Amino acid sequence: MSVSTYNERPAAKSGETDGFSVLWSRPRPKRTVFSARLVSAITILALLAAWTAAASLQLVSPVFLPSPAAVWAKFVVVARDGFVDATLLQHTLASLWRVFAALIAAILVGVPVGLAIGISRIGRGVFDPLLEFLRPIPPLAYLPLIIIWFGIGEPSKILVIAIAMLAPVALSTAAGVRGVSRERVDAARSLGATRAQVIRHVILPSALPSILTGLRIALGAGWSTLVAAELVAATRGLGFMIQSAAQFLVTDVVVMGILVIAIIAFALEFVIRRIERVLVPWAGRE
Amino acid sequence: MAHLILDKVSVHYDGQPAPAVERVSLDIGRSDSGRGDFVVLVGRSGCGKTSLLNVAAGLVEPAGGLATVGGKPITGPGSDRAVVFQNDALFPWLTARENVAFALRLRGVSADKRARRADELLSLVKLGDAGDKRIWELSGGMRQRVGLARALAAEPQFLLLDEPLGALDALTRERMQTTLLDLWAAAQVGVLMVTHGIEEALVLATRIVVLAPGPGHVVRTFETNFGRRYAAGEPIRAIKADPAFAAARAELTDAIFEGEAA
Repeated sequence: MSVSTYNERPAAKSGETDGFSVLWSRPRPKRTVFSARLVSAITILALLAAWTAAASLQLVSPVFLPSPAAVWAKFVVVARDGFVDATLLQHTLASLWRVFAALIAAILVGVPVGLAIGISRIGRGVFDPLLEFLRPIPPLAYLPLIIIWFGIGEPSKILVIAIAMLAPVALSTAAGVRGVSRERVDAARSLGATRAQVIRHVILPSALPSILTGLRIALGAGWSTLVAAELVAATRGLGFMIQSAAQFLVTDVVVMGILVIAIIAFALEFVIRRIERVLVPWAGRE
Repeated sequence: MAHLILDKVSVHYDGQPAPAVERVSLDIGRSDSGRGDFVVLVGRSGCGKTSLLNVAAGLVEPAGGLATVGGKPITGPGSDRAVVFQNDALFPWLTARENVAFALRLRGVSADKRARRADELLSLVKLGDAGDKRIWELSGGMRQRVGLARALAAEPQFLLLDEPLGALDALTRERMQTTLLDLWAAAQVGVLMVTHGIEEALVLATRIVVLAPGPGHVVRTFETNFGRRYAAGEPIRAIKADPAFAAARAELTDAIFEGEAA
């Protein structure tokens, strides 16, 4: 399953597939047998084979390392019958909802904050230190405080994820805004644009590629905060499912949950890259 | 007859020991009937050409002197003085047509009206069929044409051109010079242009102002009529082959390098 998913990986942007070795090697006619993608597929297959072999030879106890077949079987069972009172789909949707609610909140706060940092000295003075303070704190460190303040309900979970997403969104927006070409702004002003029109029609679209990059980073950060957010008083969610399984040593569910989280993260990355290509086709072509 | 006037303008940038421009006066006129002035600023690097253009655009505040347009002091950029930059400064998220229509969109002109006007202007710069193209699909010369059309859409009284042909190859450049002359004749604008090209200045200008650095000041002013001759129908190659053109070029070159350490 993971092999075929991996093969569908988008070739990123053309020319971005392989940085150093592409720059290093002389251009030559294409007769390469081992493309990077093929090598990746072989690597995955080799790892799967090693995993299968280790499990079937009983090198370690199934409690520590269930076989791929067992994990797959568990996937089917949990997808159909559920685990801890919810099906796999319900767990997944609960997690996705939290991450997306947090993403929306992070956009609503982070983009204006980044804009303020990028265009105004006062904005930068106010928000820059706050973000720099917030950015390096691990979510697990502020989770208890948020629970004290906001209780153990759904808002707390979304807030924890949103805080993890805020800095990447705001800082990428600010970087994009600061990178707007002076000439573009001057041209718009000389065509009669007011300050608000310059922001709306020039600065925001110019910063869009950078904002989207920020969203990509933020989704990664949010997704990895998920398990922490679902530590407390959740009844659904992939992170919750993994933790419950771990408490009962149901290792195959743990492994299956980890793989599902990885695959969803991968799929989200893929979707955002698609969105980038549709929304900002000019990025890197100017 | 409206005038864009710089009266003994000085420019002094923050943190610079010396002013970039000292007491330079310029007068660019335009009229509703017939052609306005086509004033070209030439001079070595650091002579303050672009600073003066930015003062006229309202992007730089003069440290001394007064800049006025139509008798009123210039307090900031405005669509009566549209600027075209060397690097087109077009908006890549818009099509060529939407770029041209930008000034109209700012004014709230309805979508189909501004599309129609944009198409007219695109045909004027000979890009009639490129309206739906994205900016990165256009060559450098085509982009500058879009930039010019976009500036004209604002219906400016004056066009301020900051080395608009500087980034183009020689052949495209030559073709763009006649395009500029055609636009100047059609749009009834006064033009202030900065260039490094000596021949370009001669082909286009009605008046050439030669600046010298340290700090920027006017060393000479030439009145020329080669651009008007083209506008009157004489072919550009014949004009350039005219011995008077060669003589003017030698004289202008001397003026530009005058006073430079020999």
